[in-house]
Amino acid sequence: MLVLAHYALAEAWSSKITVGLLVLCVLPFILFLVGIYLANNPLARMLIFKGAPAILVDAGYFLKILQVQSWLALVLCAWVAPRLISFDLADNALPILLSHPISRPTYVFGKFIALFGILSAVTWVPALILFGYEGYSSPQPWFSAHLSLAAGLLTGSLVWIVFLSILGLALSAWVKWRVVATGLIFASIFVSAAVGSMMKVVLRTRWGMLLNLPVMMTSLWQRLLGLPVLELRGESLPLAPILLALTLACVCFLVMLNARIRARGVVRG
Amino acid sequence: MGRTGPQTTELKPILQTYGNSMAVIELEGLEVQLAGRSILKGLSGTLEGKAIGLLGPNGAGKSTLINTLLGFHKPFRGTARVLGMDVYLDRDRIREAVGYMPENDSFIGNMSGVRFVRYMAELAGLAPGIALERAHEALFYVGLGEVRYRKVSTYSLGMKQLIKLAQALAHGPRLLILDEPTNGLDPLARQRMIKLIQEIRAEGSARVLMSSHMLRDIDEICDEVLILKDGRIAALSNIEAERRSNRSFIELETVGPVTEFAAHLRSLGCDSASFPDGRMKLVLPDGVESRTVYRIAAQQGVQIRRMNQRRDSLEDIFLRAMDNSMESRTEAPAVRL
Repeated sequence: MLVLAHYALAEAWSSKITVGLLVLCVLPFILFLVGIYLANNPLARMLIFKGAPAILVDAGYFLKILQVQSWLALVLCAWVAPRLISFDLADNALPILLSHPISRPTYVFGKFIALFGILSAVTWVPALILFGYEGYSSPQPWFSAHLSLAAGLLTGSLVWIVFLSILGLALSAWVKWRVVATGLIFASIFVSAAVGSMMKVVLRTRWGMLLNLPVMMTSLWQRLLGLPVLELRGESLPLAPILLALTLACVCFLVMLNARIRARGVVRG
Repeated sequence: MGRTGPQTTELKPILQTYGNSMAVIELEGLEVQLAGRSILKGLSGTLEGKAIGLLGPNGAGKSTLINTLLGFHKPFRGTARVLGMDVYLDRDRIREAVGYMPENDSFIGNMSGVRFVRYMAELAGLAPGIALERAHEALFYVGLGEVRYRKVSTYSLGMKQLIKLAQALAHGPRLLILDEPTNGLDPLARQRMIKLIQEIRAEGSARVLMSSHMLRDIDEICDEVLILKDGRIAALSNIEAERRSNRSFIELETVGPVTEFAAHLRSLGCDSASFPDGRMKLVLPDGVESRTVYRIAAQQGVQIRRMNQRRDSLEDIFLRAMDNSMESRTEAPAVRL
């Protein structure tokens, strides 16, 4: 499994676009870091903001961090996930790969680890670094008083990147062409969101929002960070249906992977 | 395809030594169903040859049998063992011990040859450093040494077949499973592939199970053949023994005193049968050559107009197995030729 993950990571990193996207993901992190620095440095605040309201580093600030980094993770996933699987499928490498002492779940898990690792580097890792920096910059009681925020950041990020990884691998496994797979990953998020919104309008039911991943995830992250769930145009959903919808989607993606990741698709006799 | 790299390296570092006595494949009433349809129907037999051929028409179940031996399909009934290990329960151990060369293109085109073979060797359980070393050795062994840093997608068809063989060899398997290794190769590339497999067989370090629909390939490489038809064993034959037994069988067309000639031959230990028009059939005992028959005929004043020393080709064995299979379709027992 580690061999698979190692080669998958190497494959992902062999692309300059992957490196470029990772650099792009670091930029908001630097901006948020500067924001925390300014919020906690009275001299800098006085010189730059000149009496204007200072940046407030609270749960809302960390929600923004989580949102920005998570959507950047989607972009990264849409680029990297097809590279991990499509090459194997395009050249029919599965019969050879699976004739070695690895099972189909091991194969998928190896790829999952690689993708999960890359997405971690742009989601919960920078979020927790920023949390740690805020804790370092603030007076001592802040850190211990906001540990639930760190747990929320970690949990929210993990839910998102696990979902993204499984989605990315499942859709990539069904499309041989990487560009199409990338498009399909974006489409699966945004087209389903549009369909969900249409359902809400046409059928006058908020349950259509269960197809709207941006709304669902924002609602989930707000809860995890202890923020009040904003009632935007009646889009708020209870927690249980959100978790159920995410779980069901993951099960569907696993079924897709199970159907596709096989040593032999056709029995030739 | 000509040799693309330096001369063949030593086989020993790549292949481990392996004894000759163990059964390579044991089948006991093996039945495999796919999508509710029986593909393999109660196969039984023991294969012990150094190089085992798997023959059969399209749809006979050759690839299904190979996939079952690799643990891709769970037996519906019965069992199968590879190198003494159960194909389903011990599939990981079997896959460690086996090198598999699939029939169709199967590689990662985006990788260089050496990286691809190294990757496969690491998956088979070798440490990264050793895997790299073995990858170089295997690529030189199959003649791809000079092109090992090129992407696999740029290889010709013959090279792609060879790199599949290299990855199957790299981890030092005890059994090589080759599914149609000469598929799509031009005559030169085919000859090279056959020569490589013959070398592996002669080295004796790894047993070979080779599936092919090319009788000539099996004939040149294998000493034992399993012929499948409609998911059943049509024949399980030791080709070497078959060849040996047929070498001593002679058909004659003669003119002259056949009775005395036959009596002299019987005194040498030959079994003979005479037919009208001077036709005779003989089975020569060990140590009696056909030239002895000529000598005795000359002594007895018998003219030998035609001597046909029967040499059963694999094609004969195959056709006979197909005929037998047609005749005894309902009875289903395997035919041991």
